[in-house]
Amino acid sequence: MSVSQVLRGCLLLGIIPLLMAVKPGTEKPPPAVAAKLCQSCHGAHGEGMPAAGIPRLAGQSADYLDKQLRDYAGGSRENAIMHQWAIQLKDAQRAEVAAYYASLAADAAAPATSAGNASDAMLVARGHQLAHQGDEARRVQACDNCHGPDGNGAPRTAPYIAGQSAQYLTASLKAWKEGTRKNDDGQQMRSVVDRLNDADIGAIAAYFSSLAASPNSGSR
Amino acid sequence: MTERLKEVDVVIIGVGMVGSIVGKELAAAGYKVVGLERGQARYTAPDFQGPAIHDELRFDIRKALMQDNTREPVTFRNHGSERALPIRRWESFLPGTGLGGSMVHWNGQTYRFQANDFELATRTRQRYGKDFLDPNLTIQDWGVTYDELEPHFDRFEYLLGTSGKAGNIKGKIQPGGDPHESPRSRDYPTPPMKEHFQGAMFRKAAASLGYHPFPQPSSNLSQPYTNPEGVKLNACVFCGFCERYACEHYAKAVPQTIILPVLLANPNFELRTGCQVQRINLDSTKKKATGVTYIDAAGREFEQPASLVITASFALNNVRMLLLSGVGKPYDPNTGKGVVGRNYAYQTMSSVSAFFDENVIINPFMASGASGTLINDFAGDNFDHSGLGFIGGSFIGAVNTNGRPIQYHPVPPDTPPWGKAWKQAVVKHYNHTVQFSCHGSSIAQRQNYLDLDPTYRDAWGQPLLRMTFDFPENDLKMAAYVTAKAVEIGKAMGAKQVAGSPRKGPYTTQQYQTTHNTGGTVMGNDPSTSVVNRYLQSWDVPNVFVIGASNYPQNASWNPTGTLGALTYWAVEALKNKYLKNPGRLVSA
Repeated sequence: MSVSQVLRGCLLLGIIPLLMAVKPGTEKPPPAVAAKLCQSCHGAHGEGMPAAGIPRLAGQSADYLDKQLRDYAGGSRENAIMHQWAIQLKDAQRAEVAAYYASLAADAAAPATSAGNASDAMLVARGHQLAHQGDEARRVQACDNCHGPDGNGAPRTAPYIAGQSAQYLTASLKAWKEGTRKNDDGQQMRSVVDRLNDADIGAIAAYFSSLAASPNSGSR
Repeated sequence: MTERLKEVDVVIIGVGMVGSIVGKELAAAGYKVVGLERGQARYTAPDFQGPAIHDELRFDIRKALMQDNTREPVTFRNHGSERALPIRRWESFLPGTGLGGSMVHWNGQTYRFQANDFELATRTRQRYGKDFLDPNLTIQDWGVTYDELEPHFDRFEYLLGTSGKAGNIKGKIQPGGDPHESPRSRDYPTPPMKEHFQGAMFRKAAASLGYHPFPQPSSNLSQPYTNPEGVKLNACVFCGFCERYACEHYAKAVPQTIILPVLLANPNFELRTGCQVQRINLDSTKKKATGVTYIDAAGREFEQPASLVITASFALNNVRMLLLSGVGKPYDPNTGKGVVGRNYAYQTMSSVSAFFDENVIINPFMASGASGTLINDFAGDNFDHSGLGFIGGSFIGAVNTNGRPIQYHPVPPDTPPWGKAWKQAVVKHYNHTVQFSCHGSSIAQRQNYLDLDPTYRDAWGQPLLRMTFDFPENDLKMAAYVTAKAVEIGKAMGAKQVAGSPRKGPYTTQQYQTTHNTGGTVMGNDPSTSVVNRYLQSWDVPNVFVIGASNYPQNASWNPTGTLGALTYWAVEALKNKYLKNPGRLVSA
């Protein structure tokens, strides 16, 4: 099989974006600021720390990451630890860090480890419904509308959520609900989460944490 | 075998925007109401959800949300001397079907007609003299004034949460709004949508020419909103899939997002879907309706007796229902006598494309159904028509709603319509073109009308509606005039090429124009020229009310939905406060 045949096969399968991402062991060395500030929590390959609710960053949209860092610094996304790092970053450093994590292959990260919740079939089924169909009784639309089919993200603005840990997803959804996170244009997330109860939040977290991370063209 | 059902107070034909509002008000007032909808029940979740709802082939090209014209088309001809043929594929206009009606697939452009429009015949004669008008035109007053409707416009906009900027509050002109608008009692419920780049370009150019640009009033909302019914809507995300689609985000004001949750929770209201109403039944005097007969999705026939019948279908179907039922005298274009089907009008749409260099990035896909910028300086009677030889006008705006891949590909007029050169032109111009709409009025004339087709029948064996229509000379002159003005604005924007396409005749059903079909059950104060009185009550059968854009004696320079909303609340108040307390004629014939 020639190289061009392989490439053609890849095109047909739609896996070119995966090939374009950087493979483990071949990444560029992280920017100095990432080595200093980010890696101890978000991991050497951007895989996060699921049990501690620290999100994976590998393959996430650069625009999204850059905006979150700005919002941590500015306070529209409240988090004491992230705030103290984010305010230290200059514009160029922030962009460099965001581009670096966007360039990492998502499969460099370890699988989501939220088996405790994911094993609850009822919970996952409810999460599946909210993710793909929404719920007219709650008057909430499906997560997929913005976060992309299967929660794989819709760069530039909507992050991938598939493969994030249940701990992170739950904390993030609760932050919208409690108003400690309010950096959404048009109050899109707050409008949705306002209509979800704790069980719905648990279900969404269980469902998306049960999926493998396979972000759509995250480096854009 | 027809099964006769238990009598109810009110039966409503069609559960779209009008049917939902009327049903909600009358059920809340304690009346037993049945809503008959020919299409299916459908709700934002799961029926309108992405990514399936963005299927351009299914919804845009194959018209998945529209009236099924394999079963129920409309026949069309330009002139009475021709034989009409069924429209087998909707293109020019797109009547919807299903719960929520055509509003489900609208763009959310929410205007008020101006005071002048409601008294068009009187004011035109006053300003230009009685001989100004072509005697072939059959324009007339509405029998209701803007001032009477103002509270109902206000109520409708607050139901929808419409996003806009007032231009005239109680006579005081407001900077940034439309100075030509008739006075409103207060500002819009939510602030205007974000202005897209082409809107900003248009605004600067129009202002430099001395015109008065303002943000398009939008019922895709700029921010979350809770309406007076207690129903919550979200903010629009500018996905660019409004018209021909349903909104997945609860951000577009449609019955599902503004009033159906309240209506369907009321035990006085019963929704029946899949019910094709065949006719309104009359008693032996032909002056009283006894209810309706319908066929359900399983083919069973039912008679639903009711004290009051309200036809709340799409404009064309309101006309057909009256003709099928023998309510009102059909119009005869040869004698000018009769009223049902008379004064069918439309909208006179023209367009202008302004082509820019490749360093001007438009991003046309960053849009919403009503996020444009426009001027009313050449709309309605906002300019002097002396010596122009026509009445009416057009709003002009950069009101592009989308950059969808199959349908949106502006190219200069000298481009081949297919092949390599066309493809190259599409790539070259897609992201560097601004398209304007000239949204023109439509004047009624004697030869344009609706009646029952003598040849073609629907799937239930009933005659189809036949449309006989061509553009009046008046409107083609108007289109040429306003399109020239739009071309000047395009040049002032700095475009390297500006192509104007004023509407030309003959009218064709094979090219999309608008779904603003009006007239046929015209309202008015004279039973010889109107089907319903000023309260939208049938002159001939007083327990039948007809509510729809079919009530418009002629169509104005704006999208008709806002005015229909006001008329709906106007009729609802007459029903609740007058008719239902003492059934009978509200206006003596």
